[in-house]
Amino acid sequence: MSLASTASVKAPPSVLARLFARQELALIVCLILVIVFFSVTAENFFSVRNMTNVLGQASLALTAGIGCAIVFISGEVDISIGSLLATIALPLIIIMNDTNSLLLGVSGALLFGLIIGVVNGYLTAYAGINSLIVTLGTMFIMRGGVYLYTGQRAIPDDASLDSFIALSDGRLFNIIPYSAVIAIVLLLGFAYMMRHRPFGRQIYAVGGNPEVARLAGYDVRRVKFICFIISSLLATVAGIILAARVGSAQHTAGLNFEFQVVAATVLGGVSLAGGIGSLTGMALGVLILQFLSNGLRGLGLPTEWQLVITGMIIIAAVAFDEAKRRRAIGG
Amino acid sequence: MSELTHASAPRRFIGGQLLGSSQLVLGVILAVLCIAISIAAPQFYSEANIIAILRQCALVLIVASGMTMLIITAEVDLSVGASLAFVGCIGMAVLNSTHSLALGMLAALAFAGGVGLFNGLVVTRLRVNSLIATIGTMMMLQGGVYLFTREAVQNHNQLTSFTDLGAGYVGAVPVPVILAALIFTVAYVTLRFTTLGRYLYAVGANEKAVRLSGVRSERLKLFAFILTGLCVGVAGMILSSLMNAGQPTAGRGFELTVIAAVILGGTSLLGGRGSLFGTLLGVLVLKVIDNGIIILGWNQDLQMVVPGVVIILATYLDIIRNRANVR
Repeated sequence: MSLASTASVKAPPSVLARLFARQELALIVCLILVIVFFSVTAENFFSVRNMTNVLGQASLALTAGIGCAIVFISGEVDISIGSLLATIALPLIIIMNDTNSLLLGVSGALLFGLIIGVVNGYLTAYAGINSLIVTLGTMFIMRGGVYLYTGQRAIPDDASLDSFIALSDGRLFNIIPYSAVIAIVLLLGFAYMMRHRPFGRQIYAVGGNPEVARLAGYDVRRVKFICFIISSLLATVAGIILAARVGSAQHTAGLNFEFQVVAATVLGGVSLAGGIGSLTGMALGVLILQFLSNGLRGLGLPTEWQLVITGMIIIAAVAFDEAKRRRAIGG
Repeated sequence: MSELTHASAPRRFIGGQLLGSSQLVLGVILAVLCIAISIAAPQFYSEANIIAILRQCALVLIVASGMTMLIITAEVDLSVGASLAFVGCIGMAVLNSTHSLALGMLAALAFAGGVGLFNGLVVTRLRVNSLIATIGTMMMLQGGVYLFTREAVQNHNQLTSFTDLGAGYVGAVPVPVILAALIFTVAYVTLRFTTLGRYLYAVGANEKAVRLSGVRSERLKLFAFILTGLCVGVAGMILSSLMNAGQPTAGRGFELTVIAAVILGGTSLLGGRGSLFGTLLGVLVLKVIDNGIIILGWNQDLQMVVPGVVIILATYLDIIRNRANVR
């Protein structure tokens, strides 16, 4: 990297330097390095089965990460998504147990997610409360609400609908897990929106400089409001996949999930300051962390090491990114 | 939108004038809570219960004192909960092997201060956003404490001086409350009456201006991080004394309670604005609510729901009052 950076200072940037300047390429290189490293060192790592398994495991963070990244880009944060995972599993499982209908259960869950998104979005965008405080508050309220309602017991999925179970262990063409398919489709759709639709550009504008966005005629409040709704709905989808995977509504579901997603999003180069980053970057961040934890498990390291190493990588990645940015400005 | 509101309002005016009334509202809330709970449950005002409330406040207040300073400089530390658990385990392990409270305490303070130093260096030297940096440290500490010990570190030598740290009394006042009062007072005086305190506010309000006027803003932030760490060290030892063991699972969600109390006390996450007295009121309000839920015999899971509502509501009230005053 230092070679590429010095080149960009002295001479017109070479092709290589320009390529490396793109965050996504650096991330792809990291991802390949991680995969190559574990393919050599860990047994059974480099197999179609394991690769697709990792993809399935990554689908939760990938789906919720889209929303997290969009809210970050709009200049706000949403740390309520972990509690949301546990909350929306309640209507989902209860309605399915009562009606034996996946469609009704999912609709109920999405409705709950929508309400939570509206509350977060309204309090942030229209009431003007700092989004960290709002989502910290709703995080407490939802987790406490789930504990209250369930009496800290899991509610099992008694309906055992085939279509619901397929969400956890079904595979498209017997290869790619359905959960990963859902995540990829959502990712492609939202990535298209962020890059090529006016609303996507509005989100970048609002996050980059709200005052300028307002003067340009964008409804800053509305944009942020909608971003929170998107985030909650996507976290709802992640919650549905999680509920299918564990076959119940767990009161502890999604504990610390928000931190994992935030970590992956930031690793992917999406800035907390707003206006900077891409969904591709976020997705690469999620995949790097997921392959890393899978590979470390393959090496037989205790799970705690994954936490330690993930923590170090996040700090290192952001520090590196920051150093690069400062050099770009200074040089 | 919050940035816009702040930008359009004259900041110094808000900082100076409204702090007082923000605390007034909190004081009224506290009074109403106390009166309402004591009407519903007269035992609220018993000596035993008041001491119980104060003891519960102590742990949060100790860490919140450091955290208030840190948030005033516009940074935040999410790793305090994970650090609290780790510190307790290390302190207890050193205590067990050396039979000396002083060495155990020293080890706890050194470790917690080290965590603060690390956070501070990552934020000030490497320029990592403190929210992200301390999420990273939180993960490292959560993983690290399990690598250090998988089960609770039991208290093997039962030193009286160590047991007193959590459960002892001086007169009628519990030792943790005295420690909390001491730390709070030192922090209050520092923040209110010293140049260092004024600089901490200045760094949070406008770091660039502080740097241009020749003050090393990084040092001030580093200081606030280390101080928060040291507070965690003290709290961690008290906690392990109360539990008579170092628990690796302790402190889950502690960081959020502390930050909630600080925010409730009117300290702005944007930095430059806030007070320790507000934090004291914030801690009291949260802990009186906790206590009320218990003595009224309500479901204890409400202890998570109510603070969530209170934080949002209090912040919203603050914003409404700001708008009214600006007009």
